[in-house]
Amino acid sequence: MAIIELEEVSKLYGFGDATTVALDEVSLKIEPGEFVAIMGPSGSGKTTLMNIIGLLDRPTHGKYELGGKSVARLRQSQQAKARRDSIGFIFQSFNLLPRLTVLDNVALPLAYKGMTQVRRQKAASKMLERIGLLEREYYMPRHLSGGQAQRVAIARALINDPKIVIADEPTGNLDSASSRLVMELLADIHKTGNTILMVTHNPELTRYASRVIFMHDGSIMEDMQSEIGEVPDVARRSMYFMPRTTEEDDLAGVSALMQAIPESEAKKSVKEKKKSVKPKKYQSRKKGKGK
Amino acid sequence: MLGIIIGVLSVVTAVSIGEGVKQQLTGQINKFGEDLITVQPGKTVTRDASGQITNVNLFSSFGTTSLTEADLEVVRNSGGVRLAVPLSPINGIAEYEGRQFSQGIILGTTEAAPEALNQPVQYGAFFSEKDANQNGVVIGTRVAQELFQENVPIAKTLRIRDQTFIVRGVFEEFENSPLTPTLDYNSAIFMPYSVGKELTNNQALIREILAKPTNVAETEAVAGSIRTALLSAHAGQEDFTVLRQEENLAVAGNILDLVTTVIAGIAAISLIVGGIGIMNIMFVSVTERTQEIGIRKAIGATNNQILSQFLIEALMLSLIGGIIGVLMSGLANYLLRIFTNLTPVITLPVVGVSIVVAVVVGVIFGVAPALRAARKNPIDALRAV
Repeated sequence: MAIIELEEVSKLYGFGDATTVALDEVSLKIEPGEFVAIMGPSGSGKTTLMNIIGLLDRPTHGKYELGGKSVARLRQSQQAKARRDSIGFIFQSFNLLPRLTVLDNVALPLAYKGMTQVRRQKAASKMLERIGLLEREYYMPRHLSGGQAQRVAIARALINDPKIVIADEPTGNLDSASSRLVMELLADIHKTGNTILMVTHNPELTRYASRVIFMHDGSIMEDMQSEIGEVPDVARRSMYFMPRTTEEDDLAGVSALMQAIPESEAKKSVKEKKKSVKPKKYQSRKKGKGK
Repeated sequence: MLGIIIGVLSVVTAVSIGEGVKQQLTGQINKFGEDLITVQPGKTVTRDASGQITNVNLFSSFGTTSLTEADLEVVRNSGGVRLAVPLSPINGIAEYEGRQFSQGIILGTTEAAPEALNQPVQYGAFFSEKDANQNGVVIGTRVAQELFQENVPIAKTLRIRDQTFIVRGVFEEFENSPLTPTLDYNSAIFMPYSVGKELTNNQALIREILAKPTNVAETEAVAGSIRTALLSAHAGQEDFTVLRQEENLAVAGNILDLVTTVIAGIAAISLIVGGIGIMNIMFVSVTERTQEIGIRKAIGATNNQILSQFLIEALMLSLIGGIIGVLMSGLANYLLRIFTNLTPVITLPVVGVSIVVAVVVGVIFGVAPALRAARKNPIDALRAV
């Protein structure tokens, strides 16, 4: 049974002329135990999708079932409880509370569950030990390196043993060594059976994923299973994969640039460009799915 | 938090000054003897059927008629009365060697006055019955110091209204407290009643009659019988008041409570200002911690949990402010004791009420910012930097 099931979920902002379509009738099924990487350019709706799946936001239309139960009728406090118990968040900028120690940061979700201080600090210690940061227990977040902070954030996300871990660009602010550590940690978590959803810009990271989803302008363009350890070709070429219209070219200033170059040169470079763009049938925006 | 500290400090200090004065008053009144009965013109108190005071009319003693010599006789002859002494103010300014003493009061009274006032004459002696027509006066210590500029001006003469009087005695210093509705006897010059009457061409009025019962235990009953006697002498009109000492305290306490309440009310305004200060600080704090609120909500805090968090913070602020305010008030009282003749007293109920009020103020003024924190949308909050 799918742990996450979205059916024709849309998210619209504004109204009338100024309507922005953040998500356009997205349907998605995620089985437990998958490691899903979500890629796409900025504005494609990845973060909105994550917010809706993570119960931080409600869809304007459509159905969302989490663990088989519809989310629509949940009150705010029930949503908060679901976030606390079933979902763990990891953010690009770590988002640790600066005035609490590492230990208290990790223990915070347990505090909202009502656990007493001694017990929750013990549980937090154990979790920190599991990820290897026990000696930094009483440090403040500002004294940690980026990689350490992100691992603390992962510990916090895991403390309640959530069914789903949602990571929004977890390695965005990290150097490659720290990124490696963080991704290995996520892979470990995946191995123990958790479901992980990760948004990323870095195609290399799809190595860790079992499924890769591409989004563009609020819709899912491509949704494919992939072997763990392999970076699918598609991901590598993702930049070129996105369909383009002449409007985009205009907006990018390419045509203006073209006009500055002598015509013979321009014709040559334009021709070369056109070779790597997919044929016109991808120009329709509505249900641009697959081949 | 400073506003709360100042608010609590002012309220507690004001009330403790009032308490201190009340206690001084009690002490002073007790010194006069609990068996003292005062009869005054005007109906200062209302009594119910059993004789308990139900209402105090403070201003009815102004602009009323006086008691008369007939009243004095009635009181003297009432059942169980051991002595009755009139106090009759006399217009005039005492003069000595070119100096004038205008602050005091000249009272015509009879020989039992020291006993009625429960105050011994320290130097010299009070005039006796046979001196009733002689020009001898007994003065209070302040008169001695300011008019004669010495402590024992016995046998010195002074002039009142062109008549010469000789000082026969000086009273021991009367205990005084500020705000007493009674006279400051230290600034009084006592002369025989008949002399005073003559001095004013029989126009002296009796302002007060002091009476003492034979038996201390019967004070209440004697007061009652004086009242009944005067009532019939006044043809059923109760345009006088008979008070025992403990009732005197009630009247004085009434005035004092009024003043204390007014001052405390003004001080309470600063408490409200303090609360507004807390509200402002909390609003700023909520705005600055917007991202933190977003993170907490993303982790799973419910709106109510965020609400409680901020309310408790506001509560802590005001509780600590209240406690500091009380401690500083203790310090202020101590300084007042040293530098003035006030003796403020901090009582437990005042402390308790002030702290409770401070906490309530903190909660009330913390609710608005806490609600705003609780209602923040987590996505927008997370985006805020």
